[in-house]
Amino acid sequence: MKLFTRYFRINLLATLVIFLLASVAFYFLLWYVMLTQVDEDLKIEKREIETYTSKYHRLPETITVNDLRISYESTDIREKTRDFRTIKSPVRNESEDFREIRFSLPVGNQWLMCKVSKSLEATQNMNRSIILISLMTIILILLVSLLINRWLIRRLWQPFYQTLTGIKKYRLGEKKAPAFAESRIDEFNLLNLTLDQFIQGAEKEYRLLKEFTENASHELQTPLAVIRSKLDTLIQDKDLSRAQGDAAHTAYEAIQKMSRLNQSLLLLSKIENRQFSETLSFDFKKLVEERIAAWQEFWQGKDLQVSVSLQPASIRMNMELAEILVNNLFSNVSRHCPVGGRVQIELNEFQFIVSNDPASGPLDREKIFQRFSKGGQITDQHGLGLSIVYQIGEVSGITVLYDFKNQQHIFTISF
Amino acid sequence: MKVLIIEDEKALAESILAYLHSEQYTCETAADFPTALEKIHLYEYACIILDISLPGGSGLDLLRELKANNKADGVLIVSARNSLDEKILGLKSGADDYLTKPFHLSELAARISAIIRRKSFDGKNDVQFDDLFLNITAKTVRVNNHIVDLTRKEYDLLLYFISNKNKVISKGAIAEHLWGDNMDMADNYDFIYTHIKNLRKKLMQAGAQDYIKSIYGMGYKFSDHL
Repeated sequence: MKLFTRYFRINLLATLVIFLLASVAFYFLLWYVMLTQVDEDLKIEKREIETYTSKYHRLPETITVNDLRISYESTDIREKTRDFRTIKSPVRNESEDFREIRFSLPVGNQWLMCKVSKSLEATQNMNRSIILISLMTIILILLVSLLINRWLIRRLWQPFYQTLTGIKKYRLGEKKAPAFAESRIDEFNLLNLTLDQFIQGAEKEYRLLKEFTENASHELQTPLAVIRSKLDTLIQDKDLSRAQGDAAHTAYEAIQKMSRLNQSLLLLSKIENRQFSETLSFDFKKLVEERIAAWQEFWQGKDLQVSVSLQPASIRMNMELAEILVNNLFSNVSRHCPVGGRVQIELNEFQFIVSNDPASGPLDREKIFQRFSKGGQITDQHGLGLSIVYQIGEVSGITVLYDFKNQQHIFTISF
Repeated sequence: MKVLIIEDEKALAESILAYLHSEQYTCETAADFPTALEKIHLYEYACIILDISLPGGSGLDLLRELKANNKADGVLIVSARNSLDEKILGLKSGADDYLTKPFHLSELAARISAIIRRKSFDGKNDVQFDDLFLNITAKTVRVNNHIVDLTRKEYDLLLYFISNKNKVISKGAIAEHLWGDNMDMADNYDFIYTHIKNLRKKLMQAGAQDYIKSIYGMGYKFSDHL
């Protein structure tokens, strides 16, 4: 629920209750005032009749007008003056209300009961009209205020939504931080300022972290170089025993693995830091052909049945990254395709697809591009190859998808 | 031939020194910028191994200094930074080659001998080893004046061996030399074995002796004496 909707609901409810209560009170008050007015009229009428009879000792002529009726009844005794009361119409088939006053009147030596009544129809009509008008006014006011509020609030909240859109589009590590427009509202400016500071802080932390990874990887290179060079020197020793030679070999392999892992981490952080920003349009088919030629030897060695179908395709991205991307996909295939398995490499104008026979079942779609996720049982792999592929896709605006169909691992690059 | 090793990591400089020393090279080391600057001004080297990040200054400045003084020394940059930009920058500044840490000493030796060949033997593009004659420009190999028909990889392998003669070269170093760093097939050395087997067979068929010796499981040694 929007803030405004919530606010307006509460507001509307409160206003309605207040207006309704006020209307009811107003109705009764108005009715009371009008009745008093009618009673006043009746009193004047009474006085006139009394004055007339005491002066002329006879009854005045009764002129029955529509809303005022006077009638006399002879009684034996003097009755007490009855106060005003509202009665139903004395005439049958009329459903009008009347206000009536009864009083005894001495005419000669006789008492007469005089009833003066006045129709309440006009009063009632008037009261109804007034209430109706005020109700309509209330509804109108509510409606107009709703519309005005809606428009006004939408306008007032505009900077807030702009900020929100800016934040939504923003991703940490991107060079462009959202620029918040200056607002005339202090609260929004404060919000923007706070967000701005927050983003800058986070951005700085993020950069430091990235730089840390990169620096750490760089710093590792030299000790690795020392270890490797010492091993290179060590194996020159003619008196090395077989066991020592084996130990040296194992150490070599571990260093090799570590050095590759380090290179991959460095590459990942460089890609994330967008250090491969230089893009150009180039012949992707040629690049794929070159990489196929490079891998051919290994594929033959593994008896892989490689079918290649390449159509001309041009792509716009960083060339170094494109080469790494293709290379890593081929490397992945070379590792995971079982001996004698089938590999398909397809390229068309929009897609580059590499598929191969699986060593086992489908891979976890969620985890496959994650770092250090080892898809198969091969332990000699650091599990960064595919995350590099994915990351290259991320920064180059191409999508990398994995699928398992017809008993084949399928990697699709769409550009 | 004199080689200057400009490297602040002492252990690494020592290894390089020890490895190259047993070849025909005379090596000197410089561990910081001022020492290196002094040495390149005072002496001439066949090749300078230059680390980019040095205490007291950048290796690239040394390189510029060399070029400004029209020094003909060959320069091989060794750097911890494996970035294309820096590689290009280094080569543009006048370096002859660029090697990323961590490297194999055999790779370093091969690169150095390639630089020295290019620098010192202008016009004379032959490398001789016992009965073998390699023409670097034409990439051909002769044994007793007969051309041995080698594939590109076999030729590369042979040149690599000759640049590291009498040294044990690890399988990993050979794999990296033949296929580069990003082919990560190092866990499968069968491919190396195939190439070495073919090379050995072709050389022996041409009448050369068996120079390639397998050293346990570690690697190979190219030598003309047993």
